[in-house]
Amino acid sequence: MRVPIEWLREYVDVTASPEDLAYRLTMAGLEVEAVEHEEGEPVLNVKVTPNRGDCLSMVGVAREVAAIYNLPLRHPMPSARTAEPGEAAQVAKVEILDEDLCPRYAARVVRNVRIAPSPDWMQRRLLAAGMRPINNVVDVTNYVMLEMGQPLHAFDLDLLPNGHIVVRRAKPGEKITTLDGIERDLQPDMLMICDATHPVAVAGVMGGSETEVTPGTRNVLLESAHFNPTSIRRTSQRLQLSTEASYRFERVVDPSGVVAALDRACELLSQIGAGEPLSGVVDVYPRPASERIVTLRPERCNLLLGLNLDVPTMVDCLRRLQLKAELHDGVIHVTVPTFRPDLNIEEDLAEEVGRVYGYENIPERLPFGHTHRGGDSPNTRLIRPLQEAFVRAGLIEVHTHTLRAPGPLDDPNRTPVRVRNAASEELSTLRNSLIPSLVDVVVHNLARRQTEIFLFEVGAVFAQLPNGEYEEMLKAGFALTGSVFPPGWDARYPAADFFSAKGVVQTLLEAVGVAEAEYQLLTDPRFHPGRSARVLVGGREVGIFGELHPDVLEQLDIMRRTVLAGEFDVHTLWSLATRRVRYVPLPKYPAVLRDLSLITPEDVPYQTVERTVKQAGGTLLESVKLFDVYRGERIPEGTRSLALSLTFRSPERTLTDEEVDAVVAHIVRALEEIGARLRA
Amino acid sequence: MEERIRTLIEEATQAILSASNTAELESVEVRYLGRKGQVTELLRALPTLPPEERPRFGQLLNSVKAQLQTQVDQRRAELQRKEREERLRAERVDITLPPRPLRLGLKHPLTQTMERVRAALIGLGFEFVDSPELDDYRYNFAALNYPDDHPAMDEQMSFYISDTRLLRTQTTSVQGRIMEKRKPPFRIAVIGRCFRNETVDATHHHTFHQVDAFMVDRGISMADLKGVLAAFARQMFGEDVQVRFRPDFFPFVEPGVDYAIYWQGGWLELGGAGLIHPNILRAHGIDPEQWTGFAFGLGIERIPMIQYQIDDLRLFLENDLRFLQKYGA
Repeated sequence: MRVPIEWLREYVDVTASPEDLAYRLTMAGLEVEAVEHEEGEPVLNVKVTPNRGDCLSMVGVAREVAAIYNLPLRHPMPSARTAEPGEAAQVAKVEILDEDLCPRYAARVVRNVRIAPSPDWMQRRLLAAGMRPINNVVDVTNYVMLEMGQPLHAFDLDLLPNGHIVVRRAKPGEKITTLDGIERDLQPDMLMICDATHPVAVAGVMGGSETEVTPGTRNVLLESAHFNPTSIRRTSQRLQLSTEASYRFERVVDPSGVVAALDRACELLSQIGAGEPLSGVVDVYPRPASERIVTLRPERCNLLLGLNLDVPTMVDCLRRLQLKAELHDGVIHVTVPTFRPDLNIEEDLAEEVGRVYGYENIPERLPFGHTHRGGDSPNTRLIRPLQEAFVRAGLIEVHTHTLRAPGPLDDPNRTPVRVRNAASEELSTLRNSLIPSLVDVVVHNLARRQTEIFLFEVGAVFAQLPNGEYEEMLKAGFALTGSVFPPGWDARYPAADFFSAKGVVQTLLEAVGVAEAEYQLLTDPRFHPGRSARVLVGGREVGIFGELHPDVLEQLDIMRRTVLAGEFDVHTLWSLATRRVRYVPLPKYPAVLRDLSLITPEDVPYQTVERTVKQAGGTLLESVKLFDVYRGERIPEGTRSLALSLTFRSPERTLTDEEVDAVVAHIVRALEEIGARLRA
Repeated sequence: MEERIRTLIEEATQAILSASNTAELESVEVRYLGRKGQVTELLRALPTLPPEERPRFGQLLNSVKAQLQTQVDQRRAELQRKEREERLRAERVDITLPPRPLRLGLKHPLTQTMERVRAALIGLGFEFVDSPELDDYRYNFAALNYPDDHPAMDEQMSFYISDTRLLRTQTTSVQGRIMEKRKPPFRIAVIGRCFRNETVDATHHHTFHQVDAFMVDRGISMADLKGVLAAFARQMFGEDVQVRFRPDFFPFVEPGVDYAIYWQGGWLELGGAGLIHPNILRAHGIDPEQWTGFAFGLGIERIPMIQYQIDDLRLFLENDLRFLQKYGA
């Protein structure tokens, strides 16, 4: 809200500089976002928190200023106060059919209206406060709203049959054209101000154009009311129509100030010669709001604030806020006026004492008492080693969007969770896999001429389950494209391929402590059918990875590149971890190395060869390493040559050649059973 | 014979000294001292000499041989040194050429920040827990003392999945989950992703990260909140950082504050905090007369934005490698 300081000074004699005022208001909870200048006059731009509707007016801000600087507050007291129906009752009639949505409705009547521009001083203040002057009658209603916080509305009385106002909910099919010229369909829950037959205003939001005050208006009915904040908020949202009035009504307007605002408006209208107010007010207020008493125990106040204030200081802070505060039996009884609906409990009062006294005066203290052992969350303990493994493998971490448009790279086995109120397709589902977003990042960076893209992410993905429930799972994913080593000025390295990705997978598995994994060809439309794998540990799938299908790459406009991606389920992976780190003494005896050069049929997987060697090798076989794979002219078609380096060692003695030869012979026999033979 | 030997010594010495590289020296050595070398041949010719001359010439030739061998060895050492020097000179590279790059991984700047936040709060005794991103409306709003249709909810329009499920708008949603299960005293923290249905610009995003910490114990006051926040801020931003409170409103705290740090000449707002609303404690069977508590929250992105003077929030989820690689410390 814009608060011209010149206007503010009408209610409180504050002499502080605009900057000091801005600082102290901010420190007291009314954040001044900026001090602006309107034709040289300083204007405070105040951000009012949603609980402080009472500060959406000059008087409301002045009340805070008075409390902060300990100054008296001058409330604008209209000279002619009305309480009696008077003449107004003969001209206007008000009927409230929905008391729950409209607890109070009051009207006054102004005769012999002469529509004209309002006086300069008023126009200047309205402009400074950010409102456009329209004519004297409308300007006065806006002026009073800005001054006292009570929105007012002026109807052309002669367009209201018999001056009859009915406050009720809209009927099915009813419509109204609002002042902005838009015809609006009304819904049965919306509160309307109606004449005898149809709506003339959307209560608390905007008037109708039919009863609008125009240059030809001669008589005016002024409305001042108290509406249910929730109802106004819903109506305003559903009509997508937010106004100065609805903004205030949503944040609670003081029900006790309804008539005072009418009186103030009438006073101003006659003062500027815009019309002649009739005596009296029609005020329908079936169940008047009453003031509440909230108590504050001084020791509780000090406990909450961490201060040591005496009772007179607390009472003074509260009184400065225009609250009645009295001490009875050691407890401060505070009478809360109707303009402060936010004060309901002891803690609310402690806050008021604290902020008037100044939060900057609260000391810093570290809590004592119970000791607590802090720690990482269970998920973090699973995620961190994975992040670190990926980093060791040379990958860069990304954080991608959870919300995304469905796409061809989504996990085909998981139904995506849809966002009900998504504003765009881009935000319409929750990711069911990390792969699509990782590939998006690849595309994004390729478009920026980055060619070396090695990425990972660990994060939540979602799925809708057949039973209607939702599943949130942690996944660890990666994507890579580029050369195996970063290219420099003197060397070209081969492009990363399936086996580079497998290296990343291996690093990941080792980090978790998975001793042995099995790789099976993957059937998944996103991946190359011959260069992708399911990774199984103990027979359970922990993840998938491989080259993306060329069709997918084509759709993404990625040409002549190999892109690899993969995704692992974090919890499954950890649940299958077997390795426990234990000290094993370093070998005392020398190793014996033997190389085997084998010719195997193409359809015997390496995995089978290695498993056969290990099984036949027994305990003396320490390790098997593949060091060459050859296909070509020198060996028969349909076969390949595998060169293995075997390391034999005993923890107890130096092995003899004869011993090793016997084991190797055993291995070779076992290999022959799976169709392999030694290469001559 | 003596004449021949003298000539031989002269010739050989000359040849040894004039050998300009080790290969040449090698052939000189072979020529004189090899199996068919001239010295060897003279030694072989000894039996043809008269017997009385044999010992003298034998000794002489042997000492000549040793002398020449020493000369060869010296010369070889010299030449080898020279040749190595030459090789090293020839091997000189342009050391100003760029390095051969290594493939280095690194963590995202947000992860790096989250790790620092965790370390700071764990040091203050907070135990981190996990909480779902796809949460219940109840935990996100109702359990946090939000009345229906409160205007405060304007500020966090949510992504709804169903009537009861939404993407959490704040990590504060963990409070209800914890209080349902645990009795005080406790110090709990949660860190993670949050979502708000907002228009994206340089300072707003529909996806961001938050940390939320809260504790409930006997006699917890605003002074404790201020002390803990100050200790936390000092660890994140340096020893001399100051913390400032000012009143603010959040439905789940009373009194509520917004806190700021003094950073490079101005106050920077970090997040919201306050004493946990007694309604929340009471709703979970915790007697607010016995127990009080505080809670504070903080946007993770805010921290690197302050520290590295990043002015666009969108960079964090855009994942431009040129951006990420800048914060690879």
